[in-house]
Amino acid sequence: MNNKKQRGYVSLPGIGDLALSGLRPLIGILLGLIAGAGLIALSGVNPLSAYVAMLKGAFGSPQAFANVLVRASPLLIGGVGVAIGIKAGLWNVGIEGYMYAGAIGAGMVGIAALPVAPIVHIILSFLAAIAFAVVWGLGPAYMKAYRGVNEVVATIMMNYVAIFFTSWMVHEPQPMAEPGSFFPMSRMIAPTAKLPILMKGTSLHPGFIIGLIACVVLYFVLRYTPFGFRTRMLGVNPVGSRYAGVNVRQQMLFVLLIGALMGGVSGAVEILGLKQRVYMDFVAGVGYESVAVALLAGGNPLGVIASALFFSALKAGGATMSIQTGVGGPMTVVIEALCVIFVIGVGYSERKRLERLDVAEKEDKEVEYDVA
Amino acid sequence: MSPDIIIDWLQASLRWGAPLILVAIGEVYSERSGVINMGIEGIMLFGALAGIAISFFTGNVLLATIGTMILGALFGLAVAFLTVSRKTNQVVTGLMVNLMALGGTNLLFALLSESRHVRVERYPLLFPESFSNIPILGPVLFRQPVSTWVALILPFIAAYILYRTDWGLNVRAVGENPQAAATAGLPVIKLKYQAVILSGLFAALGGCVLTLAEVGYFASGGMTAGRGFVVLAAVVVGGWDPLKTALVCLVFGAADAAQLRMQTAGSVIPYQFLQMLPYLITVIALAGVVGRSRPPKTWGAPYDPADI
Repeated sequence: MNNKKQRGYVSLPGIGDLALSGLRPLIGILLGLIAGAGLIALSGVNPLSAYVAMLKGAFGSPQAFANVLVRASPLLIGGVGVAIGIKAGLWNVGIEGYMYAGAIGAGMVGIAALPVAPIVHIILSFLAAIAFAVVWGLGPAYMKAYRGVNEVVATIMMNYVAIFFTSWMVHEPQPMAEPGSFFPMSRMIAPTAKLPILMKGTSLHPGFIIGLIACVVLYFVLRYTPFGFRTRMLGVNPVGSRYAGVNVRQQMLFVLLIGALMGGVSGAVEILGLKQRVYMDFVAGVGYESVAVALLAGGNPLGVIASALFFSALKAGGATMSIQTGVGGPMTVVIEALCVIFVIGVGYSERKRLERLDVAEKEDKEVEYDVA
Repeated sequence: MSPDIIIDWLQASLRWGAPLILVAIGEVYSERSGVINMGIEGIMLFGALAGIAISFFTGNVLLATIGTMILGALFGLAVAFLTVSRKTNQVVTGLMVNLMALGGTNLLFALLSESRHVRVERYPLLFPESFSNIPILGPVLFRQPVSTWVALILPFIAAYILYRTDWGLNVRAVGENPQAAATAGLPVIKLKYQAVILSGLFAALGGCVLTLAEVGYFASGGMTAGRGFVVLAAVVVGGWDPLKTALVCLVFGAADAAQLRMQTAGSVIPYQFLQMLPYLITVIALAGVVGRSRPPKTWGAPYDPADI
């Protein structure tokens, strides 16, 4: 205690000791929900009935849950792309941009009326999305790995470039644009490129399956392959991994490009599965939410599944809550942000606690929050 | 192109540059102390709404400005508490502040629905009307609200404080090497808090200027439209120097003004390319193609006294 005072920390008494490693995100989320309840109460609605409406809106019926899964799809895929970066100590905040790039790629191939079977058309669209997104990600990834540029700033700037590039691509003189439309958007994708609907009466598409597979595969890659080992080593100790013979620059490049690839797939899923057109702002912050999803999961790909479902349940349920209780729709966004802020705010005491444990155990559990 | 269009564009450039400069000054201090306050976009948004709301209810622009700055300082305090004391990731903290601001302002604005599209009291002109009749300079410089002049003068004061006062030296020392600064007896945490609170205060002021200097009403759904990130870009391109950053802000403001005119007039260059310009320039500047842009040494890293 004396030690803390001397160092000049402001500590939240009690919470730090409560925040054991597995419980940390849960405590943060709980605090976020409590704070959200306070705000709901302030706006004159009973928070309990608001949250009940939210739960019903997310899990009340198969259709409602299908809606949750639809919203979870881009978060799962984008989130796991950020997560692998976190494990390597890299903050890949560029998902938003990769999603736009991927959507343009998927849109270009998807719009074209190709005389091929639907499955081939869909695969071609995904390949185009991946190619576009990876090329888009190559710039910031190369700059981070080989020129030491801060990847956060570089990827955020590229996000905005991507948004305006998309805006240009769907404005009328461009071949992609829908002729004569009031709102600038691309033409509709061909029926053969559309992802199938899995449940009648909903827009449930196979995107969440792609997301789940991506999470599980990357979990095993991180845990059991040499590539995954090098990635984790880079995150724990970049200098040490260089001495151990890891090609640090190449490893950084690959990790950031995996993030770009995932972002591209995520954008393609949104276009081919749900939106069916490309337009400016179609991502609407999902890329940034992916960062929050990955953070909540502590960079663990399996954790991404849980946190992506949490976020999408909040969003899907929030719409119902808004209709049934009159709480403003944007309240869910505020609750989302509060939850993440509390999770990272509590996270620090977790780190202090872990530092007291022995190093070997720490290496396994520690969540690194520093910007590399 | 007729001279009228050019004069109109120059005037608009200053007008759009002013809020950017104000936000950038705070951000320069914050980043010089080692903390990237990514939440400025969100704090700007809150400032824009607060400025409108206070001006709507009191009809007093000065009161609105002061109230907004206090609100901004509180947000700065929250960001400082999270990033400095709790050592949260600065990027994620900022992004969450932005997310919260987007939702929060939409919620609050819905409550203030009576003020929707009512033009509130705005900043007055600094110089009397008759000055506007001076050719060229009149419309460009003198038909500007007080806020533009504040934004033009403030960078010089900010540079003086940063380079010529003890406090400025201390802030720079903390950003370059906090351990050494602490050894020399500087209150590292306190200085970081002060710098981040300043960035919140100026971000809110910039948002307030965005609405009270020109449009006079708030538009829900994120009316700052990424200007906070333009400021982050300008600070990088300006090499973390108040004067250079202000100059870059003016250039970005000019690009913004040109882009808005191209959207309505139609031109050979797609206006989206002008919108991209600030971000592309930043990426190029970061890559060190046009001179190395060197960030403060502990840029974005949390300070832990235990590290040596």
